[in-house]
Amino acid sequence: MGEAIEGGSGPDKSSDSKPLIALRGVSRSYDGGAIAALRGIDLQIEAGDCLAVVGASGSGKSSLVNLLCGIDHASAGTVLWQGKVLRTRRDWARRRRLDIGIVFQEFNLIPTLSALENVEIALFGRGLSTAQRLARAAVVIDRVGLEHRMHNRVTTLSGGERQRVAIARAIVNQPKLLLADEPTGNLDSVSAANVADLMFRLHQDSGMTVILVTHDDGLAARCRRRVRIKDGVIVEDVREATAGRPSEPSAQP
Amino acid sequence: MNLVGLALRNLKRRPVRTALSILGIGLAVGGALALIALSHSIQDSSRAASNELGDDFLVTQKGASDIFGGFIPEATIKRVAAIPGVARVSGELFMFAPSADQRSVLTLGWPDASYLWGRVPLREGRVPGPGERHVAVLGDTAAAWLGKKLDDELTLIGENFRIVGISNYTTVINRGLVLVPLIDLQEASYRMQQVTVIHVNVERGAVADEPGRVRTAIGALGNVTAATADEMLKSDRNLAILDAVSLAISIIAVAIGALSVLSALVMATQERTREIGILAAIGWSDSRIMVSIMLEGMLMCAIGCALGVLLSFLAAFAFPHIPAIGNLISFKPSVALIAPILGAAFTLCLIGSLFPAWRAVRMVPAEALRRL
Repeated sequence: MGEAIEGGSGPDKSSDSKPLIALRGVSRSYDGGAIAALRGIDLQIEAGDCLAVVGASGSGKSSLVNLLCGIDHASAGTVLWQGKVLRTRRDWARRRRLDIGIVFQEFNLIPTLSALENVEIALFGRGLSTAQRLARAAVVIDRVGLEHRMHNRVTTLSGGERQRVAIARAIVNQPKLLLADEPTGNLDSVSAANVADLMFRLHQDSGMTVILVTHDDGLAARCRRRVRIKDGVIVEDVREATAGRPSEPSAQP
Repeated sequence: MNLVGLALRNLKRRPVRTALSILGIGLAVGGALALIALSHSIQDSSRAASNELGDDFLVTQKGASDIFGGFIPEATIKRVAAIPGVARVSGELFMFAPSADQRSVLTLGWPDASYLWGRVPLREGRVPGPGERHVAVLGDTAAAWLGKKLDDELTLIGENFRIVGISNYTTVINRGLVLVPLIDLQEASYRMQQVTVIHVNVERGAVADEPGRVRTAIGALGNVTAATADEMLKSDRNLAILDAVSLAISIIAVAIGALSVLSALVMATQERTREIGILAAIGWSDSRIMVSIMLEGMLMCAIGCALGVLLSFLAAFAFPHIPAIGNLISFKPSVALIAPILGAAFTLCLIGSLFPAWRAVRMVPAEALRRL
């Protein structure tokens, strides 16, 4: 476990002069402007950051995550990836394929596929053969501790195991950015702690940037930086100097 | 796993719907193949039957819309025979004649002295003697279909004929023929002194372009035209209509098959909107997502086409055993026939798959992920 995987773009601290991702005056509204989910957000995230986005339900956390990975589009403002504006769906798809891994609260796995295949499909479009894809997926499945379940259909796995598969899928391309939207929201406390530990360990081991959306203040406290959103506006942005906290394991109940 | 494997996996998720869509394409392609093959086989069988009789030309009434539609005065036979270079001629009256049990039998009337009588391959019995009346020679399949044997009586157009011979032709149409003396058929059908066609054999070897010269000379007789069997069939109005109708029905059938693919894929992509959102979220490009959806359509199409071709071969095997069909036409699917129909089916299925695929990637991934 914990071995580096060959290939992929991996964490990148070379572009120190420019933030990994930045939002400039970003707003997102729905129903023709009747509902404003985000209002004039300015946010800059450096490579290697561990950032928690906290806030109440409906505050705009998920809308923010959707814009950060380009699965939604801003109504106003710009999103910059390493200083460049990504304009097209194609640009964003490429970034997600190479540099952004996403973990959802609802797992969002393909139910007809096995754990291994769910991870493998994230490697499509990387110019790898089926055997190479499967080998690489197997390494990552092993890394999240599911080697004994890799051939099981995901519908037969527990919630915690499914979220581990989702994390494996998110990191299989060695992304620069791991976005996790309420990754423990649907899990029991033991599974939630395990999944959280896994994510922070990944951040610690590989140095990849992690953005964690959560309403769990305890989980958020393990991140060096916390951004609080209320009614679509950032109301607090706290950065702690303390290093090493993310690697501290959760207290198991 | 690859894209094809993923597409197959998705098709297996809804086995009944997938099977019904495939069946729809199979029946459409099989039906189209059967229709067009049947239409072609009428021409092929007619051509083969004419070739088996060994004609150079067939003389018909000028401007006749089809091979049954024109009549020539019997006297024209002598005028054609008198043309230098003509080796042999024989008049022929033909029609579908109703039997006592109202079955239509393709019946040919030949003059007593026709050289064609001498060419009849007999399985048993004999051909009519000079001046012999109300006798008939039946093709072997016609005899079987009508349930007749040598010396039985056969009633055609209200006239009784004694069966004196059973022929042993090889082509489908000729095996289903009833041959009677010309005068009997003329009387029974009120076509006295008339024939439908004149068979012409040209002398060989004398002049290089003898057939061409004879043909021009026949045309000069006025109100008649000479053509090879192939040319005659190509200009036959009934066969042209049959071809056009077969083609139109085939296109409609294949289009309906493609529509079933479209319908199945629209439903499948609607049900899997969230999964399509997942694929987009993990970085699949729009084109890759589209290809994966279209592959499902093309796989259904490929399996359906294979089923359709199989059905057409089964039909080719079964049709000759159905007397009403097998007595008249031989149904032979060929590569030249199958290829364009499969091409059309794949093109229509591709178009049918394109729409749901395009529709699927049009959605914003975040919106797709919110779907249940």
